Amino acid sequence: MRASRKIPIYAIVAAGVITLALPLFLSSTNTEIYVTIGLYTIVVAGLSLLMGFAGQVSLGQAAFYGVGSYTAAILALHGWSPLAALIVAPIATAFLAFLVGLPLLRLKGHALAFGTLAVQLIFLAVIPETASLTGGSIGLSAIPSLRIGPLAMSSGRDYAYLVWIVVVVTLVIARNITRSRPGRGLRAMAASVSGASATGVEVERYKLKDFTLSAAFAGIAGGIYVFFIGYVSPDAFPVVLSIEFVIMVVVGGIGTVSGAFVGAALITVVSQLLTSLGTSPSLPPQLPTVLSLGVYAVILIVILRLLPSGLVGAFSRLWKKAQAASSPVSDFAGDENVAVVSAVGKEEPNEVTLVDEV
Amino acid sequence: MTAFVEYLLTGVARGLVFALLAMGFVLIYRVTRVVNFAQGAFAIFGGLIAYSLLNAGVPHGVSEVLAILAAALIGLVFGIIAIGGDVPLLASLVITIGLSILSEAIAMLVWGTIPITFSGLAGHDFVIFGAFIQRQYLIVLIVSLVVFVALLYGFGRTYFGKAMSACASNPYAARLSGINVKKMGLIAFTLGGALGGLGGVLVTPLSPITYSGDVSLSITGFAAAIVGGLTSPGLAVVGGLVFGIAEQFVAGYWSPSNETAVALALLIVLLLWQAKRAPVGSLE
Repeated sequence: MRASRKIPIYAIVAAGVITLALPLFLSSTNTEIYVTIGLYTIVVAGLSLLMGFAGQVSLGQAAFYGVGSYTAAILALHGWSPLAALIVAPIATAFLAFLVGLPLLRLKGHALAFGTLAVQLIFLAVIPETASLTGGSIGLSAIPSLRIGPLAMSSGRDYAYLVWIVVVVTLVIARNITRSRPGRGLRAMAASVSGASATGVEVERYKLKDFTLSAAFAGIAGGIYVFFIGYVSPDAFPVVLSIEFVIMVVVGGIGTVSGAFVGAALITVVSQLLTSLGTSPSLPPQLPTVLSLGVYAVILIVILRLLPSGLVGAFSRLWKKAQAASSPVSDFAGDENVAVVSAVGKEEPNEVTLVDEV
Repeated sequence: MTAFVEYLLTGVARGLVFALLAMGFVLIYRVTRVVNFAQGAFAIFGGLIAYSLLNAGVPHGVSEVLAILAAALIGLVFGIIAIGGDVPLLASLVITIGLSILSEAIAMLVWGTIPITFSGLAGHDFVIFGAFIQRQYLIVLIVSLVVFVALLYGFGRTYFGKAMSACASNPYAARLSGINVKKMGLIAFTLGGALGGLGGVLVTPLSPITYSGDVSLSITGFAAAIVGGLTSPGLAVVGGLVFGIAEQFVAGYWSPSNETAVALALLIVLLLWQAKRAPVGSLE
């Protein structure tokens, strides 16, 4: 309702038409990238909510993505219908996150970041040891393709549509949350934890819900991924993927819904470029890793130092300036979210948080 | 008995190295409230730089000291990048994650991917209860004990240490009484870098390091620091010792491949224990 007032209708229609039309023209490699961008957008939307509202970082999103994948794969291989397996994937992932978050979110000092990194490392250590169930380091293959009612999904194009439907659903959920009562509570929390709890926001419960939801988003994306690829192995969920998700959030803009897509798309393309750049035969073998780690680090640091509200935030500020200069016709979509970011990022002086602690 | 003594002593030595890293965490967290993800990178740089200096013919002692100074400088630079200017807390934390992967990229570019080690101070192994102990372990023990005593004395007795504690307990009041909190934060990062560098210099002769070793060092150091709730330097030392000894016993009596898994499980248990102690609704 408010969303439709904020975003001009032609923009929504244009975005919809482009999204639907693109898969018709893409080669199979590009379709894979297109699906990947969609999947990462889902993960990043969840992580962005966590970072923007709960003010916490998770370095285990790739593990949650992996848990979603393995849950769907194992169930589908054990005779479950793929659709049921896909539905259970985010639930199982959310449950795991709930168990992890319940104690960790009570701790100060960003224990969640290290706790989730531990989860990620444990996930990578456990998979090879449980070969009978998970296929070990070789992985699981011959995963049946998804079937929704009479609709069997076999081509990449089918998955491209499915992914983008889920993207829209998750983004709408994310948007609604940022505008609902819990969303306002979370936003108050981002500005001042003690202020929020003093006015009756159940800080701990909201943080936990936020974290659980972010894991569920990663879980559903992982579930779709496994049916799309038809194969799963632990190599697909390295620690650096978790860091990539954090970078995508930062690039798009912490706490913005539209930033999730911008960050996911940009970083996915950048990582594709880096891979193709670094793998020329004449170059030393460790160059791709050096290049990608270095580029990621520089992107992360530069954005946080120079554009703390991300690309979407920076762009919408420019847009608003231009609008104010000419005539104030329409408002930019990311506007309200940018306010959140500035609450998280700028207006909140560090001292206040610190004094609160005493 | 022989094996037990050996595992115990090597565990204590490794634990002291973890404790040095944990002290760095505590120091930086107390003053800036930033959990510094790049803590393990200081140790990696310390070890790698000492290795290069030794290879270039710089004598023992001088190389190690220079490497520690270099790590301190890296700490200062990281501090400026992470907390210089007006950066919110969450952004500082994420910047340290960026610095940690940047360190990996630099270390890989300069020193490659092969594990690197150098011989510690030459000398015979000595025997305690029939267990052969390398002399390096003795050095680790003495050096880190001296450092811990100096740090605890420095915190408690000197004006500078008290100013740091003031920043930790109430930065606002500290600022009102004329303490430059930002500068204290940068000093904390520098000291944290030096402590990490010292840990790296001490541990490299005992177990080879690679460019990617910083993650496990960071996570173990953090785990040790969490024993003291990230704010108590004394308990951080205890935490380091617990992790070092547990790691050696698991590797010795069970299997070395379970080392990391046990450390991680121990971390989770510690976090749970700390969470149980934390008051409901504790503030960020």
